[in-house]
Amino acid sequence: RKSRMNRLNPTVPADQYLADSNVLFYLNDAVIQLLEHKEEYNQFGVIRYFAEYFSSVKNSNHVLFREFNYIQATPHNRASFIRVFWKCYRQIGKSGDLLSMLEYRSLLQLLCPDFPVVLVQSAARIAVMDDTIDCLMSFSDFLYAFQLQFYYQEFLDCVLVIYQDLLAGKSPNTVIVPTSTSIEQIPSVSTEENNKEERPQDGVEPSTLVECIDALCDRFKHSHPPRSCMREILNQTDRISYYSFLMSLAKQEAINQTIGVLPNCTSIPSSNSSSSAVGGLKEVQKKASPRRNIHHRRRMEVESDGSTEETDSSEN
Amino acid sequence: MADKEKRRSGVNPPGMPAGKATKSDSDREFLSQAGVGDLLRGAILKMVEARSDDPIGFLADHFCNLASVTAAGSGGCGDEEQVNTGTVSAGAQEQQRLNRALWHLRLAHHSQRSAFSNNVRVAYDLLNFTGPQTCAGEFSEGPDGPCTVSPAGGGGVRGGLYTQTLQCLCSEGGVPASTSAPLLRRLHCHDHEAVPYDVFRHGVLTCAVFSDYIRQAQRLYAEVCCPGEGTASRALCLAVLGTLKEALETSQGSDTNYCANANTKVNSCPEANVKAIRYLEASAKISPCKLAQAMAGAQTQGPGGNMDAKEFENAAAELFITRVKVVS
Repeated sequence: RKSRMNRLNPTVPADQYLADSNVLFYLNDAVIQLLEHKEEYNQFGVIRYFAEYFSSVKNSNHVLFREFNYIQATPHNRASFIRVFWKCYRQIGKSGDLLSMLEYRSLLQLLCPDFPVVLVQSAARIAVMDDTIDCLMSFSDFLYAFQLQFYYQEFLDCVLVIYQDLLAGKSPNTVIVPTSTSIEQIPSVSTEENNKEERPQDGVEPSTLVECIDALCDRFKHSHPPRSCMREILNQTDRISYYSFLMSLAKQEAINQTIGVLPNCTSIPSSNSSSSAVGGLKEVQKKASPRRNIHHRRRMEVESDGSTEETDSSEN
Repeated sequence: MADKEKRRSGVNPPGMPAGKATKSDSDREFLSQAGVGDLLRGAILKMVEARSDDPIGFLADHFCNLASVTAAGSGGCGDEEQVNTGTVSAGAQEQQRLNRALWHLRLAHHSQRSAFSNNVRVAYDLLNFTGPQTCAGEFSEGPDGPCTVSPAGGGGVRGGLYTQTLQCLCSEGGVPASTSAPLLRRLHCHDHEAVPYDVFRHGVLTCAVFSDYIRQAQRLYAEVCCPGEGTASRALCLAVLGTLKEALETSQGSDTNYCANANTKVNSCPEANVKAIRYLEASAKISPCKLAQAMAGAQTQGPGGNMDAKEFENAAAELFITRVKVVS
């Protein structure tokens, strides 16, 4: 769990303060970079070098063209990269073009040559809310899905595992205190689900998911979205699928503010081919329909004004 | 601290093949010579002491302060500035030269052509290290094209130093870094390149003119800006920008005329002259009546909304920069 820097908390030990700030990581990288160009520097130039290095870290200018290991190493680096991606390509958002997953990947690779395709695929799955990701996405949808996926990568991986376990009717790996209600619910999940394939677009019981996620957050070392945001989403529906949950998270303004690098979710135009879903959640009772190339569902806005619930027929 | 030291120096653990060992030795030597260990240790201690909410920002400020303290030259006085360790190393000397060069460049405004040219020459020689410093005093008003005393060993100013000079000129001239960045991209040279005098002069003159231009643009914005509000009407700003653009364009055709009338006493570098003239004509174009005309036209039509100072400045900068030849 990331602890906040706090001046009012003088009891934070030096080690923890150093660790939380990731300063040693940056110093290490700075020295390595310095050594790679040591012929250019003399004693005086070295001080200037560190000044410039840390200034660029502070201004989030440091991730451009760096290797993937570097940009994903700290939350600040990830956030900076997301911001750089947005700034470089926001014209796409304005022009309203729809791009494919591979095209977004190319764009990312222009900024980070070894950016892995797996991450882009995962982000696309969130944006599209489906496993089949060969359709086109708007910049806004992809951007916020990408932000969520990249910034909270480790957390999302864990949630997926939990989710799949729930789908399979297993008791999730994370230790939860078995209450009578949760024990009752798990068998009921398996009864309903045992004829279906375990695909992330199928649904689970939100309250169970909330409990599991809570337990996860308690012991989780990496960043995770604020619990209140997640609970809010999960409390709004009877049934939740993995991707619709994630997409709701992606478009939650509170989470966007927490990360703090992108503008308001609604300020970037998103392609709108169908009405918005109520409360941001999609009712999941069916398997996903095959995707059309150009149509793609309008993703949730948390502050929804429409109250029409999306039914399957309106999708097609 | 030992393992931190090791990590910081990027040193490979013992047992690595001989090739790598040599590299890590030279790395270690470099780091100890440059005093990196002490430098970083000091920084970390200060940081932990301060427990700032923004540790990275704190470090950035810390190093920046340190850099400016050790770089603080005393202009043209020529006294030696002692670096922390008490020894004047090559780096400190370089910074001193840079400061002195900048001091010289500030002495005369670029519109005072011959004085400015002389100063550029002096600055160039200062920065062109193995060059003929002894010749610095020998220049008088005269053509400074082909130099009669050619530098013995100095093949040109180091690219990095040249770029640094330009950066300082722009920032001292009141141009924020973000505004001057696109210009510098066109003018800068790589560190390993040796910058010849012509290029140096072109760059310096362009930056000097650019600084003036931006200050002028800022003043113009202040004119059209509504007092009290922070912004100006977009239509007005666009009108002013249009006038600026026109002014920059009009003098395009004047090169040939000028060169034909060139006074032999005057600097023989045509490009620099054109720039100076262009600027003077631009100022004339931005005379009050011309501006009033533009503004009157703008009042009746044009896009709505406001433009803030930064946007105006960037737009004005762009008009200038697109005309600057890229140094290849």
